Amino acid sequence: MKWRYVGVWLLAATALLGMSRAQAQTRPALSPAWIDHLIRLEWHKQNIQPAPPVDDARFLRRAYLDILGTIPPPDVVTAFLADKSPNKRAKLIDTLLDDPRYANHWTDYWDNTLMGQKIGGQLVDRSAFREWLRQQFLQNTPWNKFVYNLISASGQNSTGGTYAKARGLMMPAETMQGAMQAQAGTGTTDSAPVNGAVNWTLKYAGNPQDLSGTVSKIFLGVQIQCAQCHDEKMDKKWKQEDFRRFTACFINTRPLQIDRGKVMGIRRVDVIDIQRPFLGGRKVAANNQQYAASPPVALDGTDFSDSPNRRQALAAWMTAPQNPWFAQAIVNRMWNHFLGRGFVERIDDFRASNPPVMPNLLKALADDFTASGYDLKHLIRLICATQVYQLSAAPAHNAEDPGNTLWERYRLKALSPEELLDSLVDATNLEPVLERVAGDRLERLKFAMRQQFTFLFDVDEEFEQKEFSGTIPQVLMLLNGNLVNRGVTPIPGTALSDILAAPGGDAGKIEALYLRTLSRKPTPAEIHRWVAFVNGRTEVAVTQESSPPAPTAPRRMLLARLPQGKKANRPNNGPDPLARFGRPGTLPEPTPRLQAYEDLFWALLNSSEFTFNH
Amino acid sequence: MTPYDPQSKELKELEEMEEQQIEQELGRCPGPVDLWSSAIDRRGLFKVGMGGLLSLLLAQWLDPRMAYAQGPAPKAKACILLWMNGGPSQLDTWDPKPGTDTGGSFKAIPTRVKEVSICEHLPMLADQADHLAIIRSMTSREGNHQRAQYLMHTGYAPNPTVTHPSLGAWVSEELGSPQAELPDFVSISGPSFGAGFLGVQYGPLVVQNPNQLPQNVAFAPNVTPGRFEMRRSALDMLESDFAAQTRDNKVKGREAVYGRAIRMMRSPKLKAFDISEEPDAVKAAYGDSNFGRGCLMARRLVEAGVKFVEVVLDGWDTHQDNFNRTTKLMGALDPAMSTLIKELADRHLLDSTLILWMGEFGRTPKINPNEGRDHYPQAWSAALAGGGVRGGQAYGQTDAEGMKVVDKPVVVPDLFATIATLLGLDPSKSFMTPVGRPIAITEKGKPIRELIG
Repeated sequence: MKWRYVGVWLLAATALLGMSRAQAQTRPALSPAWIDHLIRLEWHKQNIQPAPPVDDARFLRRAYLDILGTIPPPDVVTAFLADKSPNKRAKLIDTLLDDPRYANHWTDYWDNTLMGQKIGGQLVDRSAFREWLRQQFLQNTPWNKFVYNLISASGQNSTGGTYAKARGLMMPAETMQGAMQAQAGTGTTDSAPVNGAVNWTLKYAGNPQDLSGTVSKIFLGVQIQCAQCHDEKMDKKWKQEDFRRFTACFINTRPLQIDRGKVMGIRRVDVIDIQRPFLGGRKVAANNQQYAASPPVALDGTDFSDSPNRRQALAAWMTAPQNPWFAQAIVNRMWNHFLGRGFVERIDDFRASNPPVMPNLLKALADDFTASGYDLKHLIRLICATQVYQLSAAPAHNAEDPGNTLWERYRLKALSPEELLDSLVDATNLEPVLERVAGDRLERLKFAMRQQFTFLFDVDEEFEQKEFSGTIPQVLMLLNGNLVNRGVTPIPGTALSDILAAPGGDAGKIEALYLRTLSRKPTPAEIHRWVAFVNGRTEVAVTQESSPPAPTAPRRMLLARLPQGKKANRPNNGPDPLARFGRPGTLPEPTPRLQAYEDLFWALLNSSEFTFNH
Repeated sequence: MTPYDPQSKELKELEEMEEQQIEQELGRCPGPVDLWSSAIDRRGLFKVGMGGLLSLLLAQWLDPRMAYAQGPAPKAKACILLWMNGGPSQLDTWDPKPGTDTGGSFKAIPTRVKEVSICEHLPMLADQADHLAIIRSMTSREGNHQRAQYLMHTGYAPNPTVTHPSLGAWVSEELGSPQAELPDFVSISGPSFGAGFLGVQYGPLVVQNPNQLPQNVAFAPNVTPGRFEMRRSALDMLESDFAAQTRDNKVKGREAVYGRAIRMMRSPKLKAFDISEEPDAVKAAYGDSNFGRGCLMARRLVEAGVKFVEVVLDGWDTHQDNFNRTTKLMGALDPAMSTLIKELADRHLLDSTLILWMGEFGRTPKINPNEGRDHYPQAWSAALAGGGVRGGQAYGQTDAEGMKVVDKPVVVPDLFATIATLLGLDPSKSFMTPVGRPIAITEKGKPIRELIG
């Protein structure tokens, strides 16, 4: 380890010597100030006026969403605003990096990125994969180790169990049963520990060309898969031959089944590497022959023909410090996540004809990340400490700058489906009510809601969204859907009920609503406006509840209709999971003032200020 | 973990078994087809840039396909896709082979068109055959549900670098209008496929159940139109503050989508989704099935200006008990599709409405031991009607047992080029994808002139 630090100091010293050629050299031990300095130089060169710094409340909300994937609770907002210590922003980042929700948020991020939304077949246990991811983020596994372990993963996929479990639902009772059945079925007493990472490999079982394309794209930012069908045309860099050779690195990997014969639910398999090609089933074997016939060669020509385990050799090559793509790809991805646009636009498309902006800064960040021991939290700390991350989303002057390619103001980012759902549940404080209604089926309810949201709100995060891209069904759900509309009613225990019950006048209640939703205090003008709004109402709006059959149906009934098992894969299908909670009877008698409060709450949740990270 | 011994006999057996298993995993058909599972991929956006435009223009001048584009002026202004999910059996519908080993037990009946006979369980469609162009020579290569569904919705086989827009999204982008009160693309009883790189705004509005309005179009409980206005005025205040602060296009873009959603909620045309308004006799004519009600809704939606409607009839994956199951399916199909054609004709809308009937592939002529038929992309059928189609014909031919196409094979790009031409879309018009490659509605497809009237 020590030699590395010596190297770092030597490089830093060289860097100081070469200061006049400001961006020319690599500079490990990068400081936030140095990053800002480089970016400011670039702004200066291009005559760009940056936005002013962001205020504390908006910074807090931004950091919460980017690091934990939800908005801060109101008491955290007030405490942060009251905190007078000069380094409170840095302290906040440290606190967030230690929060258990950190692992959940990044599990969501990587689960979406790697698994996508489609999962089928009997081999992939998504719960086990998610759990593996979560452990990596809990332990802050160095990125090189993370990627090495993922790409070379071997071992058992699952303890068995039902599809529902494998689709992301943890149901201990069923899991146990499934595992027991699976064992009874095979008569084995195999108790090898599960390696959840293999489920990603299994997603591509029999399709090595898709696996290799994804590996190259996500972890190296190289779109080698373009050469699958023809020599790549843009830069003429990759030939079909290159793609076949790269794919050959994965051809010796195969699932070996543990459960034989008919299995209901997940089939337990062992992912192993053998000394000859595995061609998959009859349908794909002919196609896979071309990869079997190619030598396993990395993108820079390194040949793994003599390696006993091609995937391990490839993973070692990929994650080696000399690999020019590896650190840059993840730095670019993380920068994109936090600042809304990477150095390379379309984060996984590095090529000569798509050059990065500020290539030297990208390289410096990548070198620093490498020198840090591939520490993701170090990288996040560094990015979040920069002034460029802490700029306002409001532009500096009237000149529109639609490009904003140098991050001179913070980019609006639409919340991801998971972020939006979690933020809505947190803002309305619906969780306790969900628990009360769903009881032991809470996880299932949440899963159904999540399915609905990811189906409706999925957008491609891999390249910058220049314009808002939304759909009518998304908007209808926020306007008229149950989550928002039940959430804004004063069901006992939820946000509005507590706010209205608290002592104090309208100004205090309006402030409380702002803190819960927009995570900031309202301005005096806003308070003035909304005090008039909540007191200006004279009539109560009442509609006949268009009652779906049997509004008094026992709770069990409605929850029994939640998606189960294989059907859980069907998004947006069947009844709305929230269809009937908060039925009349649990609500106080509506008054004009009460309805005006609900309407203000509704407007806040529908607002752009709520649904964007800004 | 089992130590690996390549010589072990046990392992050899295991591998054989396993390869079959994995083949199943690879999508052969692990169980009932999950209609919704492929729905969720709606990624990407990006439109053509100026650089792309020039090359596209050039490409068009040099493109031999342009020669085919000369023909009668397109009549179709809207399209209804009747999607037979699971892969319908051609021999038991449009391409009967009675009296052969593969023909099964169904008889063939004559239709209004001489020389064209179809399955005995489609008598009402037989009576509308003068409107139908039956293609008996479809041939493709995808025998896996998901891949083939993607192919038959987008015109392309799945490709790791790009998500292609579905036909509905192309139509929505090309023929739709951002000012329309209803969405341009509606999918009934199934999720259809999204807009891929064209952008989510061109994707379908999904109606899960033809007996109900689309989700969330109705006001929430205790929200009256008046109260909704008050909510909206509060929201407008928040939005204009935030837009003024950030001066960001995304806020304006969001406002536009809100505007469109609210316009739809308020539109009198929303009633097009409500089939309960129809006379009982009309409802009865479409048949007592969700597919029938979906077809009726499709007719109402097209009348209200919707450009593309997909209606799904699920259940064609008849690996077992093919004949009883297809009889039942045709019991839903026959009245629904024939009444749809008839009603559109009566209302003078058939000429301007293209009706497509297809699934992801056909089924094996050989009947398996479970009285079922398996997946068969080599030779299968599709049907077109209305919208400028030259009706009253069966195009192409399979051999006596339906094993292969022997005359006028139709590949998927040609079918898509034909559909595009009927709809007045240029099959070769391309859009720039996020990976910087222009992509057109069809790749090298040629419109089939004999199908265009």
